[in-house]
Amino acid sequence: MTQRATIPMIIALLVTTVGFATMIFTQEANGPPLIYGAYYAGTMVALYLGVRLWLPHSDALLVAVVTLLTGVGLVMIYRLTFDVPGVENLATTQAGWILVGAGALVFTVIFFRNYHRLFDYKYLLALAAVALIASTFTPLGFEVNGARLWLAVGPITFQPSEFARIALVIFFAGYLAEKRDVLAATSSSFLGVQIPALKYFGPVALVWAASLGLLVFEKDLGSSLLFFAVPLLMLYAATGRIAYVILGTMLFSVGSLLTYSLFDHVQVRVQSWLDPWSYPDTAGFQILQSLFSISDGGLTGAGLGEGFAQAIPEVETDFVFSAIAAELGLLGATALLLAFLVFVYRGTKIALLAGDDASKLLAFGLTTMFAIQTLIIVGGVTKAIPLTGITLPFVSYGGSSVVGNFIITALLLVVAEEAGKRVEDEEEAYEGDGRVTA
Amino acid sequence: MNAHLRRTFYLLAMGFVALVGVLAYWQVYMRESLVNNPANALQSQRARETPRGLILAGDGETVLARSERVGEESYRRVYPEGEVFANVVGYWSSRFGANGIEIGQNNNLSSTDEPETLDELINQVTGGREAGNNVTLTLDPELQRLAHEKLANSNTGRGSVVALNPQTGEILAMATYPSFDPNNIDEDLPELSEDPDAPLVNRATQSLYPPGSTFKVITSAAALRAGVTPEDKFDDDGTYETPGYTVHNYMGRDYGELTFAEALVFSVNTIFSKIAVERIGPERLAEQAFEFGFGDAYEDFPLPVAPSSLGLAPEEWAKGNTAPISFGQDRVLTNVFEMALVAGAVGNGGDLMEPRIVREVRSPDGIILDRPTASVRNEAVPPDTAATLNDMMQRVIEDGELVGAQIEGIEVAGKTGTAENAAGEPHSWFVSYVPADDPEIAVAVMIENGGIIREDGSAETPAITIAGNLMRAYLNRPAPTAEPEQPPRAPGVPGDLPGEAPVQPPAQPPAQQQPFQGAPFQNPAQQQQQFGQHPAQAPAQPPAQQAPNQYPGG
Repeated sequence: MTQRATIPMIIALLVTTVGFATMIFTQEANGPPLIYGAYYAGTMVALYLGVRLWLPHSDALLVAVVTLLTGVGLVMIYRLTFDVPGVENLATTQAGWILVGAGALVFTVIFFRNYHRLFDYKYLLALAAVALIASTFTPLGFEVNGARLWLAVGPITFQPSEFARIALVIFFAGYLAEKRDVLAATSSSFLGVQIPALKYFGPVALVWAASLGLLVFEKDLGSSLLFFAVPLLMLYAATGRIAYVILGTMLFSVGSLLTYSLFDHVQVRVQSWLDPWSYPDTAGFQILQSLFSISDGGLTGAGLGEGFAQAIPEVETDFVFSAIAAELGLLGATALLLAFLVFVYRGTKIALLAGDDASKLLAFGLTTMFAIQTLIIVGGVTKAIPLTGITLPFVSYGGSSVVGNFIITALLLVVAEEAGKRVEDEEEAYEGDGRVTA
Repeated sequence: MNAHLRRTFYLLAMGFVALVGVLAYWQVYMRESLVNNPANALQSQRARETPRGLILAGDGETVLARSERVGEESYRRVYPEGEVFANVVGYWSSRFGANGIEIGQNNNLSSTDEPETLDELINQVTGGREAGNNVTLTLDPELQRLAHEKLANSNTGRGSVVALNPQTGEILAMATYPSFDPNNIDEDLPELSEDPDAPLVNRATQSLYPPGSTFKVITSAAALRAGVTPEDKFDDDGTYETPGYTVHNYMGRDYGELTFAEALVFSVNTIFSKIAVERIGPERLAEQAFEFGFGDAYEDFPLPVAPSSLGLAPEEWAKGNTAPISFGQDRVLTNVFEMALVAGAVGNGGDLMEPRIVREVRSPDGIILDRPTASVRNEAVPPDTAATLNDMMQRVIEDGELVGAQIEGIEVAGKTGTAENAAGEPHSWFVSYVPADDPEIAVAVMIENGGIIREDGSAETPAITIAGNLMRAYLNRPAPTAEPEQPPRAPGVPGDLPGEAPVQPPAQPPAQQQPFQGAPFQNPAQQQQQFGQHPAQAPAQPPAQQAPNQYPGG
């Protein structure tokens, strides 16, 4: 598991530097205060060195991928918002959030290096997660673009669901690891599908339904999809029973039909996905502008700063990928997707090498969540699936999202540290045996 | 559990691969149609912000169109040569779309294309403001200016010239008059589109006219291939009768016995009708016309070409159609561009070359991106037939004493035409190429309603003089004697152009003159959508078929 990733780190920082240099020199853009660049590069290098030093068995490549993704995101947010009349400059804010995220990562690594403690509080975490999601219904919550996802505590505003989902994955990992044997065994059947006793399955279904239901009422369709799919895949991984996936998909279909008939905003989303051309100026506007920008990019892209992705509403958050595809083209967008895939691959490898079920499921759950979130939003902006608002991990602008993803990375790093240590010990033991027999 | 983890990873990885596929679908496969979607405003935004490439004449120096910076990030199009090249170059309007080469070569000029050189790729990736590619045309600027001037000074001031190199297919001049000044198109276009003289229409390619006797070149080719030889003798008694239709020579003239070659020199309608009906037949005549490019819209040519037409399909022709079709009347319609290609093909040993107007495309830093080479589009006639026809067409100039087209020491081949039409006075045609044995230039000239009928019934074809001037200027050679304003009347023949049109009252009252049916611009909104493509030119109304009409010769 031990990974030196010095060259990937250098490449990631170089890509970011070239991006900014391009913007500053060829676009004659006014440079952001260089101190922000120094903060950013310093933070990421410090993180990398810290991981190499204090988590020597962990997977430093994750930090390199995070550096590349946050760097590309910063360049794009800078390009889309810096010095644009009528738009708040978000690049320096995002650089600040990356700093906060890095702090959260260090904090998580220091306090939860022994992450097994977390599983002891799994029910509490589940309760906290549901409470966090529900908290937006309190007077502290407020709506943005028709979805009630935000919480304001004093001067700080954040999206609680970004953190609740981490708690939920920890709960599912802990619970499923404990009960996977009894969940795999079956005692009754439903619609011809063998299902386990309700008393074991109950807590899973309860937490799942509670979080899903709340999100649906908050009109957060992207998170709903994520909160639906991730526990289902964890359940499959824990029990190996494909029946859960089939049953879940059936439930999903029923749920989708129900929400479609109940909520206007869902109908609008589906219609603007099926036929945006009929509403080019209203419901279909955003997705069509996204497609125009993406196709405008072609194979090699219009060039950094040469696209017209500003025409897409919400381009710096949900639609940042469209801007990247427009300016860096199919080649650049594919490269970025590959970087995401590397993260997912390393995450899966951590899950494979982890020593116990709970660790495996934790790493797997976090990785799957990261992967599915990417698939949902990239699929959404390319009209492969209906559009549901959700951020592109590390790349989109957004404090809660960036900090949440840094915490996910931190948890993967500590799981990797333990797994790497275990593998190394086993190898040493094997070599020791070898010497004895030789 | 690890097997399940792996399987899920493969599933997720497949999701990523699928997304790359979706991206490729939008960015490569659907790119063209999305870029041209009317709801897509990105291109017009880019068009205003990015300089377009230059359009240059064939000398590589004369600038026909360039982008001039007018604001911080905004450009406008300037046309230094004004109306001389306007119908070829077209215009690029922010309000009314584009026209001509500006739209025909838009992919090159606007650089919306994928980068073709490493420099362009680097430029694009690093985001440099990238100019469009430069397009050099094949047009000879001197010849184009001369053609424009000659048309402007012609007797009706409406007409067109196409000159090309028969051996390469390169267009040397393509002029049409009246023309327009593309520099102020945003203000002028509404008025120009109302002008009854239709200055916005490229008469060389988009307008269709009856070719009259110039079509006899095609009929002669078909006749030679059907076994008629130049020395075959035909008896003319002044008329040729088909069921329901009688061909007369002009003024009832009776030529007596003539060879086929002489029939072409004197442009004898009765003999051509007889040969077409009795020796060639509709199918072979039509087939020959198609091989010369009739019915062809020349899709690869950057300017829209209205396909020439014979009217009905040959199997529907009665003998009463075949006869007038043989001398380019009935419903035969063609354009000047096509007739220049026909003349060029005969001169080039029967091979019709692919017409080209773009010599090369270069990136802004001078790297050649495209340089089309000469290619044969079609073998219109076999080489031996072409050679025989070449001799016959030389005799048209020589024996017909068409002094206006003759050049000192060089054989010219050609054919005149005076085409009756419903719109008024006959159109004056001349097609030619020179030097006849190894042609460097083929010219087709048409003056709308320019056929001058003298009181004695003889006709003058101003197209001959214009073509002669252009050929001499191109080869830099003088006329045989001092260039005559009016070619001297040849003794023994009733006009300087034997067989030219007599005054012949049209069978029907002349239709209201509307050679350009279909207003080029209905309204600016529609124009914007069509992006400058003129609506297909409706063919000029042909003379009524089967009318007991006597078409003129010539």
